[in-house]
Amino acid sequence: MKNKLPFYLGFILMLTCSLAFSQTKSVSGTVTDEQGMPLPGVNIAVQGTNSGTQTDFDGNYTLNAEEGSVLVFSYLGFKNQQVTVGTGSSYNVTLQTSADELDEIVVVGYGTQSKRTLTDNIVKLSAEDIDEVPVSNFQSALVGKAAGVQITQNNGKVEGGLNIRVRGATSITAGTQPLYVLDGIPLYNANESSNGAPTNPLLSISPNEIESIEVLKDASSAAIYGARGANGVVIITTKTGKEGKAEFSVNISHGFSEPTNTREWLSGTQYIELFREAAINAVDYGEFADQAEAVDYIEGIFDFLAADTDWRTNPVNTDWQALAFQNGSVSDADFSMSGGTAKTSIFFAGSMNETKGIVRGNALRRFNGRTNISHKFSERFNVGMNLSFSRTDIDRIANDNQFTTPLQAIAQPQLSPAYLEDGSINENTLYANFLLEDKFAYYKTILRRVNGRAFGDYEILDGLKINGNFAYDLFYQTEDNFRGSQTPFQSTNGEAFASSVNAENYIVSGFLSYDKTFGDVHTISAVAGTELNETTRRFESVTANQFPSDDFQTVSGGAQIVAGEGSETANAFYSLFARATYDYAGKYLLKASIRRDGSSRFGANERYGIFPAFSAGWIISEEGFLKDSDVLSYLKLRGSWGKTGNADIGNFPSRYLFESVSYNQKAGISFSQPGNPDLTWETTTQTDIGLEFGFFNGRISGEIDYYHKNTDGLLFDVPLVPSSGALSISSNIGELENKGWEFILNTDNIQAENFQWSTSFNISNNKNEILSLPNDNNDIITGRNIQRVGEPVNSLYVLEFAGVDPANGDGLYYVNSVNPDGSLNKETTNNPNAANRIVAGNPFPEWYGGLTNTFNFLNVDFSFTFQGEFGASIFNDGGRFQSASADYFDNQTLDQYTDRWRQPGDITDVPQARLFGGNGTARSTRYLDRTDFVRLRNATLGYTIPQEAIERYGLSKVRVYVTGVNLLTFTDFDADYDPESTSDAGGVGVSFYSAPPARTFSMGLNVKF
Amino acid sequence: MKKIYNYYILLIIAIGLSSCDDNLEINPRQSIDGSLALATEANIQALLIGIYEDSGQSVAFGGDIQITNELLGNSDQVSWFGTFVAPRQFIRKSILVDNSFVGDTWAKNYEVINQANLILDNLDVVTSSGVKNRIEGETKYLRALNYFSLITLWALPYEAGVSNTQPGVPLRLIGYEDYRTPLPASRASVEEIYAQILADLEDAYSNLPSSNDIFASKYAAQALRARVYLQMQNYAAARDAAHDVIENSGAELTETFADAFNNDANSSEDLFAFQVTNQTGDNDLITFYASQDNGGRGGDITLNPEYFALFPDADDERSSFTYIGDFGDDLTAKYTNQFANVVISRLAEMYLIRAEGNIIENTTVGATPVEDINKLRVRANADPVAGPLTQADILLERQLELAFEGFLLQDLKRTQSAVDDLPYDSPRLVLPIPQNEMDTNNLIEQNPGYGS
Repeated sequence: MKNKLPFYLGFILMLTCSLAFSQTKSVSGTVTDEQGMPLPGVNIAVQGTNSGTQTDFDGNYTLNAEEGSVLVFSYLGFKNQQVTVGTGSSYNVTLQTSADELDEIVVVGYGTQSKRTLTDNIVKLSAEDIDEVPVSNFQSALVGKAAGVQITQNNGKVEGGLNIRVRGATSITAGTQPLYVLDGIPLYNANESSNGAPTNPLLSISPNEIESIEVLKDASSAAIYGARGANGVVIITTKTGKEGKAEFSVNISHGFSEPTNTREWLSGTQYIELFREAAINAVDYGEFADQAEAVDYIEGIFDFLAADTDWRTNPVNTDWQALAFQNGSVSDADFSMSGGTAKTSIFFAGSMNETKGIVRGNALRRFNGRTNISHKFSERFNVGMNLSFSRTDIDRIANDNQFTTPLQAIAQPQLSPAYLEDGSINENTLYANFLLEDKFAYYKTILRRVNGRAFGDYEILDGLKINGNFAYDLFYQTEDNFRGSQTPFQSTNGEAFASSVNAENYIVSGFLSYDKTFGDVHTISAVAGTELNETTRRFESVTANQFPSDDFQTVSGGAQIVAGEGSETANAFYSLFARATYDYAGKYLLKASIRRDGSSRFGANERYGIFPAFSAGWIISEEGFLKDSDVLSYLKLRGSWGKTGNADIGNFPSRYLFESVSYNQKAGISFSQPGNPDLTWETTTQTDIGLEFGFFNGRISGEIDYYHKNTDGLLFDVPLVPSSGALSISSNIGELENKGWEFILNTDNIQAENFQWSTSFNISNNKNEILSLPNDNNDIITGRNIQRVGEPVNSLYVLEFAGVDPANGDGLYYVNSVNPDGSLNKETTNNPNAANRIVAGNPFPEWYGGLTNTFNFLNVDFSFTFQGEFGASIFNDGGRFQSASADYFDNQTLDQYTDRWRQPGDITDVPQARLFGGNGTARSTRYLDRTDFVRLRNATLGYTIPQEAIERYGLSKVRVYVTGVNLLTFTDFDADYDPESTSDAGGVGVSFYSAPPARTFSMGLNVKF
Repeated sequence: MKKIYNYYILLIIAIGLSSCDDNLEINPRQSIDGSLALATEANIQALLIGIYEDSGQSVAFGGDIQITNELLGNSDQVSWFGTFVAPRQFIRKSILVDNSFVGDTWAKNYEVINQANLILDNLDVVTSSGVKNRIEGETKYLRALNYFSLITLWALPYEAGVSNTQPGVPLRLIGYEDYRTPLPASRASVEEIYAQILADLEDAYSNLPSSNDIFASKYAAQALRARVYLQMQNYAAARDAAHDVIENSGAELTETFADAFNNDANSSEDLFAFQVTNQTGDNDLITFYASQDNGGRGGDITLNPEYFALFPDADDERSSFTYIGDFGDDLTAKYTNQFANVVISRLAEMYLIRAEGNIIENTTVGATPVEDINKLRVRANADPVAGPLTQADILLERQLELAFEGFLLQDLKRTQSAVDDLPYDSPRLVLPIPQNEMDTNNLIEQNPGYGS
């Protein structure tokens, strides 16, 4: 009997309508949960027939069934239950919450499937995993919760770009971000920031609209998305109304935030001592004629830095770091209404978020609205529409590589006052005083997004459905930057920059789906269809300067229009796809899919690609020899193989192009890109073998997966010989692999009436290795990153620091030239030009995972998630200024003072302070560190007010909670602020005055009625 | 029901059969295909405009080449207070192979050279009479200018009277369009590069009209040729070329010294300048020499007492052509208009070259050296000199007149004078072949003194 379950599950969820039958007797009853609350919308099917019904909003049902037939009760989040119809006519059923989640429905591309019969590797996260986490984007709420999915935000800016890697980076120059599909709409996800620091375009999505997030990790699941599936696919499903009494839910929270870490810098007094010493030390290196000249010189500098303050007796000790940071805050308010009748379901949601970042001048305000409606015209014909809008308003600061970005203020010596005595901002600082930018400039980015989808499905024959979709995704962004006449480097009496980006994305798709069971044991499900996806982007910008005063701040106020741009671009994908799954007796599972994708992004010769996938599963626990085991309740072995593509390489990378330029108002053209007509997508071939298990009726369950991903035809901006006149060409050369393990363990440790404790643990290992590269496997070096065969993608490539020569305080480097026997020459030198770089670190973790514990005790709930990453490194490119043995006048980290070499025999790793000496300041492992860390990513403590106390007010649930993000961090990383914080101005695994993430504490209230 | 069914079937068929493949034919809107770019006369002309634009960018003649020369050539007359690491390495004569100025300037020079080669390879599509010669001449002028920048910065100096077999730079004379196979090249000798520069300037001179709006003219080419000959210590040829420019170009010294600088449009003295407007063109000299009010960074390059001490005559306006920057330092007033053109050749240089040539050759072609020098000195309100003059006098006068215009390093090298205690041919006065060239070009050889 049990073997028919998958069919019914699939069938019932596909077709949530009641089919009347003229048979035998009427059966009725009430369905409740374990607490006795009635459950509306529970599906009830008569096994082996097409008949079934749903409970009404009081949990009651009535249907006709033959005596001896089996009723299958199913409901999302609960275990299925079967009742055999006997002589009675009333059957009350209590459904138990699903512990092993095997009966969960998983959204796959163009359909759904039960977790039990899935032959793919898909991780599903539900609303509970992401709501209440006080972060400004939904992706950050997933950190540590999905095996094989590594999520890092660039740094602590609220709008900061995200890097999500599903089973490792499969590309070097093409995109590595997954495809996001919201309710079947592939979302526009291009960074449209104009200030050099990427923004996250999906900021516009509010977590409270999200019902579930599925991450498709293996080829079998992602191949249905063909040329865009290689980096994994994130499917976001929004909430829909449930039949029954309308439920209104309100959530309000407010919190505050601060940096996860700050660093120690020299006080004014320490600075004076160190730099005086550094200047004197520089005499020996010819910088000054004698000690007197050196002291005279450095004191002149101190005079300058201190402005008119008395540095000799009473240095001002400006804490520039504290000025760069601010106390952040986060406020969230959202509501949703969900309800429906047997024919119509409705969901409304609205939300507001206001986040003040931890970096001065950085903030975000967002509001969202959504309506999801569907209606059954008839038992066979269903139509609906989802529509959402949002507006996100961001106060931006400059990218990490700008003098005007707040974090670069840490370079200012504490001798320098931030403000003068009259309260005005000090303009005579070593570097431009960012406070001028903060006060007299603004950079506002507004994202507006409208996202809608109209859909319909019609059942032509039993089991055969035709589905049509038309979807539209509008991403409209404006940026307004005004820099007043008093901002640093401003010489044109103010400058205004305004831009707008209008990206539209249309999707038309149609597909046939067929679900049928033959002879009780053969279940077939098939989908075949076509999709056209066209994206157009239009960009305009204008820059004006010469403003009458700082009171005029829009382009029209400028007397001169000095720059303007208007551009359009587009791309299109046209696809055919088909998929079939076959399930024999709930034991043997087979699946095959194929997609043919064509894209305008590739040369005419290589315009189409075919992406097949196959998978199979065997539910061993359904076999006779295991079926009665009390211990092992579930065991499934599955394997998959398939191909996916990565087309995220810009719109016209294959073309040989000349762009228009202007010289003295005369039009010209200039070479912009060498062509490669053979260019096509990267192809990732992935094999996955997995074992899913459940013990003690699902109390202990888990998955073990091994995967191997080989990416071929790697798209490369292959560096060309600069003297040949071009710097790079896009080519499909190169191969890399990712392989690794994923392990998931979920346990229900305690399941008592008043106390439940469950644990979810996941850990993933990914080994990334480049297998071949263009130009005879020559290394490709871009900044601090190297692509080298045998090493991970974007490995960090710098000199190897060899410490300090105890005899003279010189910073030393290992020579690392290759000896005739192939070994490296480990002699040391103080001349960085005589030393050779080495692969010094991997910017990506090799091990990462999370541990979540959830406790419920009476009315108290408590959960926390630890996140860990191991094996990655960060190179702090600002180190050569921040910890540079007083090479230049930048304020130095405290260790440059406390640990410095002072006299022969000193053993330390901080070289002698030497003004203008460049002593040990070349880019080396001195500024590189392993980022291994464990972090208490999130913890939430909630209290639900007892039902009795609130019922009389018409409320069904009132809960108060406190929650926090990044509460504790355990790490030895000390090269920069934070092991997860990297530069938003270029380089992989490189930090540069990059703000740490926020540590946020928040309090909230949920009310439902 | 039946109707709806039909509707859906039709929809699906429509989606499936409509020729969606046509939707994949999308062309870029802001660029044109390379085959088109080289196929018409109008586009070849546009590409020529493009290489002026490229050559005039910050990383090339928009300022960085001049600043690199100036900082490498200076010892104590100026100080570098800027925060940029690359120029600091220049004034310290301690350059790392990943120096960003080094990589960017090299790449830009060669980007121009390749596009110039493409123009020359496709000149046949230009059919209008006269236009073809002009395009060829302008293109060869720009190619010569870029090669001259490369050979003077990246190779040991040219020495007269010996065979200059020391490595120069890669000599690339054919335009590349297909980059699918690697295009490495070894370094041609210094001799070969100079020969090419002279050949290009010869062709430019014979093909260009005497005046050519803001673009390179016959006398722009001749002025550059005078400079190249001077660098080769071929003083007679340098003198004659300079003489030709003075006599025939029609250019005249501006009335005052100050008038020669900060001009939005070319002055009467300018023989060739890269054009800057508030919308196009770069003037990176402003960035590093000017105060913030003038569009700079407050004065990254400041003038020291040693600079002022060069002037024997306190009334010399050139010595007081300075102002105080944001940090209290003396800055040159040659760069105070951020939208001023960047001058490559002006007539004053020609007088100095003719004078120096006449001294060495013991001639008085056109005028006596004293007359030529006094023409400049009188304009600047400096006391006239009586003579007789030596080459050293001319070299000093060159500093007084041409300071911060990027001449000092090459003057010291060609006269075999020490730079900041380094011998004129010290490897530390030669830029390293950029890291990315070393990484991609397996035929190239690094300059001495630099690691790999």
